[in-house]
Amino acid sequence: MTRSTWFMLLLGAPAIALLLFGPRGAVHIPQGRVVVRYWEKWTGVEAEAMQRVVDEFNETIGHDEGIWIEYSSISDIDKRTMIAAAAGDPPDISGLDDRMVAQFADLDALLEIGDLVREFGIDGDKFKPTWWNIGEYKGGLYALPSTPFTIALYYNRAAYRAAGLDPDRPPRTTAELNDYAVKLTKKDERGRITQLGFTTSPLMLGWWHWAWPFFFDGQLWDGDRLRIDTPESRASFLWTQERRSRMGISAVESFESSSGAIEGAQNPFISGRLAMVFQGPWMSNWINHYNPDLDYAVAPFPSVTTERENVMASADVFVIPRAAPHPREAMRFLEFVMRQENLEEVCRAHCKVSPYRAPLERFEKDHPNPFIHVFDKMADSKYVFTCPRAPMFPEISQAMLVVLLDVLHADDPAKVDVAIEKGQRTIDLIVDAHQAKAARRAGR
Amino acid sequence: MAVSRTSLGVGLLWIAPWWLGFMMFLAIPLGISFYISLSEYPLLQPPLFVGAANYSTLAVDPVFHKVLYNTLLFSAAFIPLSTAAAIALAILVNQRLPGQPFFRACIFAPTIVPLVATAVVWMRLFNPETGPINETMAAAGIDGPLWLASPRWAIPSLVFVSLWGVGSPMVIYLAGLQEIPETLYEAARLDGANSVGRFRHVTLPGLSPVILFNVVMAIINALQIFALPYILWDTDPGPERAGYFYTSYLFDNAFRFLKFGYASAMGWIQLLLILGLTAFVFAVSRRTVYYRGA
Repeated sequence: MTRSTWFMLLLGAPAIALLLFGPRGAVHIPQGRVVVRYWEKWTGVEAEAMQRVVDEFNETIGHDEGIWIEYSSISDIDKRTMIAAAAGDPPDISGLDDRMVAQFADLDALLEIGDLVREFGIDGDKFKPTWWNIGEYKGGLYALPSTPFTIALYYNRAAYRAAGLDPDRPPRTTAELNDYAVKLTKKDERGRITQLGFTTSPLMLGWWHWAWPFFFDGQLWDGDRLRIDTPESRASFLWTQERRSRMGISAVESFESSSGAIEGAQNPFISGRLAMVFQGPWMSNWINHYNPDLDYAVAPFPSVTTERENVMASADVFVIPRAAPHPREAMRFLEFVMRQENLEEVCRAHCKVSPYRAPLERFEKDHPNPFIHVFDKMADSKYVFTCPRAPMFPEISQAMLVVLLDVLHADDPAKVDVAIEKGQRTIDLIVDAHQAKAARRAGR
Repeated sequence: MAVSRTSLGVGLLWIAPWWLGFMMFLAIPLGISFYISLSEYPLLQPPLFVGAANYSTLAVDPVFHKVLYNTLLFSAAFIPLSTAAAIALAILVNQRLPGQPFFRACIFAPTIVPLVATAVVWMRLFNPETGPINETMAAAGIDGPLWLASPRWAIPSLVFVSLWGVGSPMVIYLAGLQEIPETLYEAARLDGANSVGRFRHVTLPGLSPVILFNVVMAIINALQIFALPYILWDTDPGPERAGYFYTSYLFDNAFRFLKFGYASAMGWIQLLLILGLTAFVFAVSRRTVYYRGA
């Protein structure tokens, strides 16, 4: 063989190997089935849990009724669903977050599924009202809860003991939480924080940086205006500023910007450098993985008084885009998924709570979060709040993040007022612009 | 000379791949984008013509002013610094010294590292407590800043990270340096020019067309900066919106806030800004750029 033949073989061999042994293409879809495209944001074990439900459906009901669910893990699912919907080719089911429902529903991009839900026998009364209502917008039902969660206070019991605090008595008010946070904060000889009591920095949170006014019995959105300059909101921002002043703002900022990502082994709560954190039930999955010996407990996050237990609730949800080609087949699948035994399998794999009023016995028994009952009970509170159902909330959320960042940086309460005032102006502009657009559309 | 209709048709057919591509992927989308910039368009509903409303809203939008300021400030720092650094490095690695290819490779290597990896490395370097930069400063008795978390240091930090990719223009400057005839240097030496004089009167004029090209490219890139801040500040605007830039806000308006009309208006202003600055640079270049043989 010539040198060039050898060279061609050398180049061609990997290609042939890839064809023979490489990844296979799409799963074979049996003939005659209606293909229902289901896009979901989950990956890893979370996606595997749903894939098991999909497989079971395809083998049983799907086989009998000629439906095939094609499950795809999609990143940036909100953007892709939106672009696909705009192009007239949306999936039949999309797995969004509850905070996107208002924005999508307001644009008439989602199917109102109330009638379909009743027709397919999904009984909303079996679900806790917190979770069932999370898919509602302006009186219509646009989403079903898939994996819900509340957000609670995780605290390090060993750190409590070391600071002379009772590990069985977490803080009961926001003022008490500040006192605990200061007691739990330790510094080295250079003044650098080695253990921080608590922080409201967005670096240590998810996307719920806007939640604090609710713990001061406040509301953000009244259906028309969104206000962060109310006495309750102001109290929440001052609460943050007061705590940071007592702990030393520059030392806290230095600690925060040095801490690792919340989703990993460097998470300062998991590594024992942060004594308390406001997080969801999935955090136990990370603790079990990275530091199973961590001595911690979970309690409802305190409110400004003990009279009201304000609770933050959120959920991943299923929606059917308005232009979905197979809404009835999609709802047939959702009816299967929403069966308690199926949905709770998924919720447990996601380390979240069950949306059902009475979870099955095995749900809590086998749950990876030993405190799941705390999260579950919190959803029963009369004072549950969710992401404001304002259609322009994604933009407002960013404006509120900027306010919080300014407050975190404020070394004087007067600067808090400046940040609130500036933020309120920005929010007013956003709301006004949205309402002007809505009026233009209405008068078209 | 008259061109027959047949030969015109054949000619157009031969260049069809270009003009079809130009129409489909540039001219028509540009026209649509301009129409959208005059509309209120949330993507999931049809565009609603609103005239110049998006442009007038931009004029009073404080976030728009902030991102424009940040972007111009970043560009004003980055363009001269990257130009000076790339020329200096090109001159250094143009010297006939042992290990010259190694040093060239070292300077060029960061440009082939993916941006995400670059950003992650710099985030470690900028860590205020455990990062090597502040550790070194602490050893010298200096309290290092918070870098990315500081409103004052956010843009300088981004300039440092962006300078990491200076190897790419450096290679072009290196090629430009090698195009300057050695005879010009010899003549300058004979005329008594020292190294500064040779740089000023031979190297800089010789390199001027390359400088023009690189400056125009730097203007385009700097005014469109997006990926690095997006990673460094984890898609957030950063403290006091110091890590928020023009294209980031444009992206958010389109894909997070579903304001495609507003985003398109921003896109057109960005295009005009780049065109204006490029035209200004070309106008200045008429007197400052030397083309050999022209």
